[in-house]
Amino acid sequence: MLTRPDPPTGRPGKPGGGRSHRVREALLGLLLLTPGLVGLGVFVVFPLFQAVYLSTRDNDILGNPTRSVGLAHFAELLTPEFGALLARTFLFTALVVVPGVLLPLAIAAPLTQKLPGMRIFRTAFALPFAYSASAASVVWLIMLNPGTSPVNWLLGLVGVQAPSWTSDPGWALVTVAAVTVWSVSGFNLLVLAAGLAQVDEDVLEAARIDGATGPRQFVSIVLPMISPSLFFAVVTTTLTALQALGQVHIMTDGGPNGSTSTLVYSIFDRAFHNNNSDYGLASAQGLVLLVVGVLLAAVQFGVLERRVHYR
Amino acid sequence: MRTQARHRSPRTGRISTSLRRVTAGVALGLAAASTAACGAATTGASSATTQQLTAPPASALDGKGEVQVTFWHAMGGKNGEALQRLTDQFNQRNQGRIKVTLQYKNNYDDTLSAYKTALNSGQAPDLVQVYDIGTRFMIDSGSTVPVQSFVDVDKADISDIQPNIAGYYTVDNTLYSMPFNTSMPLLYINRTAFVEAGLDPDKPPRTLDEITAAARKLTVRDANGNITRYGFGTALYGWFVEQWTALAGQEFCDQGNGRDGRATKVNLATDEHVKQLEWWQRMTEEGLALKFNSDTAESDNAFTSGKTAMTLESTGSLGGFLANAEGKFEVGTGFYPKADASHGGGPIIGGASLWIVGKGKDDAHKRAAWEFTRFLATPDAQATWHTATGYFPISKSALDTDLDKQWRAQRPQFDTAIKQLESTALTKATQGCALGVMPQARKAEESAMQAAVHQGTDPRQALQDAEKSLDSAIKDYNQSVGG
Repeated sequence: MLTRPDPPTGRPGKPGGGRSHRVREALLGLLLLTPGLVGLGVFVVFPLFQAVYLSTRDNDILGNPTRSVGLAHFAELLTPEFGALLARTFLFTALVVVPGVLLPLAIAAPLTQKLPGMRIFRTAFALPFAYSASAASVVWLIMLNPGTSPVNWLLGLVGVQAPSWTSDPGWALVTVAAVTVWSVSGFNLLVLAAGLAQVDEDVLEAARIDGATGPRQFVSIVLPMISPSLFFAVVTTTLTALQALGQVHIMTDGGPNGSTSTLVYSIFDRAFHNNNSDYGLASAQGLVLLVVGVLLAAVQFGVLERRVHYR
Repeated sequence: MRTQARHRSPRTGRISTSLRRVTAGVALGLAAASTAACGAATTGASSATTQQLTAPPASALDGKGEVQVTFWHAMGGKNGEALQRLTDQFNQRNQGRIKVTLQYKNNYDDTLSAYKTALNSGQAPDLVQVYDIGTRFMIDSGSTVPVQSFVDVDKADISDIQPNIAGYYTVDNTLYSMPFNTSMPLLYINRTAFVEAGLDPDKPPRTLDEITAAARKLTVRDANGNITRYGFGTALYGWFVEQWTALAGQEFCDQGNGRDGRATKVNLATDEHVKQLEWWQRMTEEGLALKFNSDTAESDNAFTSGKTAMTLESTGSLGGFLANAEGKFEVGTGFYPKADASHGGGPIIGGASLWIVGKGKDDAHKRAAWEFTRFLATPDAQATWHTATGYFPISKSALDTDLDKQWRAQRPQFDTAIKQLESTALTKATQGCALGVMPQARKAEESAMQAAVHQGTDPRQALQDAEKSLDSAIKDYNQSVGG
């Protein structure tokens, strides 16, 4: 770069020696990208093609791919049962995303007030973020044990008869979703609190002078200003909910009678659980999950992000 | 495998909105794709054969130096520690000849899953512990040397092994694997609660109807009508239903419980099973039994906390029950209850066994794995194992060792299990069902139990649904292994 004579115009990147510069820049860029691309290729792109291949194959009892079955595995998915599984997956995702974003938002608003002790509260509320899904599930199973539950005991004190959290078919999915909400809210709280902290005092001041107070100020000024954080929280929480496996596996193992079985659980079940090695069907379901993920991404980026206000 | 886009800050600043939109969209899609790819982690194309391998003689170890044996197991906690002690003992005695290294693989399901992957990539261990219900699958994998083959080559005397225990792992009159950690189901009772309720703790219920009658007396309600203690409560664990089938002298799957030939059907929707699920429904509806899922950890916890007065569990839980109930109440044991007083069969043993891997292994390794397996089955090793873990000893004479006698003197509750095993005749029914997809069958069975007890589905309907859900799995499996 130093040996290259200055172009006549004095501005970089213009014709005259610029082409070799650009080639070198491009090569350098490619070189810097290589480690990332290799990782992506080995761990994402290659397995994706392998999933496509496997989804057209049967498996022997050891899981080796055998004869081609064409699209038979996909045809197997055209059943009311699989439709119910998808619907349950969407329901679970909604049960996680809506409270998993609104709850931290409600907590984050008072937490950003400059009051003494708020840092302690913020740390305490963000702590669930540090738990792994499995650890959280085990702890909550103990908290909700039908025999010894402290939660049920507390409810009993105020005269509420606790339901069978993990074995009542009406409650099991809600319970697993609630534990997931508990574990995602810590992270979302950090994201939203950081967003709120950056809201400009001057803007709020100006709004107040214009007569916008309370809810109006929150909806018209604060929400648009934290919308990038909010959008980010929605997208990552959606992903976490779509991929939630540990909670389902440990808390209910898909039961009672399949009422907490989601798409990811079903993939795990077909491929690895109970000595199954039906990688063909599992891969087909995995590709459905890919489509679901992409569709949700398209909806979120196409509809929601239009309303996001980037500065 | 889970990709999470958590570390990207929401305000990266410089990148334009559209670029950000594209990258984030791609990240979301790829994250989903990587989950999709989770199901796609195998390579290789060799197909399983059922041809069995044969055992090498003792001379296979000559001139081989110290042979390294890898043993994959699923024994955590104090069980794992006991296994390590036994292994150290063996290694010390066989210095310069055999060295066994333990590898803990979390649980039975994960061990088997890892074993299948390892077979395909040539990374299989020399010895692997597999749960009871994986027996038929292991035979069909064609990857192991039957224990029978070593017994024949050595002309070894295995009459010391409890015949009922060896029976489970015997298919087509061949002992395929060496039983190791063995358990049996028992009825556990809260003796203190029995006395309180005016029941005789030395005469625990013997049938399901007697359980109902006892539970009516044991269930306690407070002034508001809330139940503070349930008479009964146990997990909806499929193993328990299989036990009732055996006690009724019935076979759980066809072809003589899969012992005469490859089973083609699981007998789930039987009158016997319908009656059992109806009993279970009545028990919960009447408020005599606490509702649980299929995980026994929950019902164990409720029993030791005194919330339930009777429960069903394996012999392996006795130690934990005694420790956790200490100072709260006295634990008693009874024979596993029969569904009907007229039933004359007995329970099936459960647990896991040891399989000697032959595929891709030289004779020295096969032989070394067998030497270690034989050591673990000796009376002394079994007495150590039994007293450290609470599992049932597979060796008859282990019960006559001083160590074992002392241990039982402190835990008379365990004698129930010994009496129960001794009074069980070995039949096709009590051998248990050997089925390639037995783990799936048990899961289906549990789904039916959950449907009946938690969703109020008609038991026969629930059992028929479960039976139907297994049809194609059994057919696919049998087709895959060429039979």
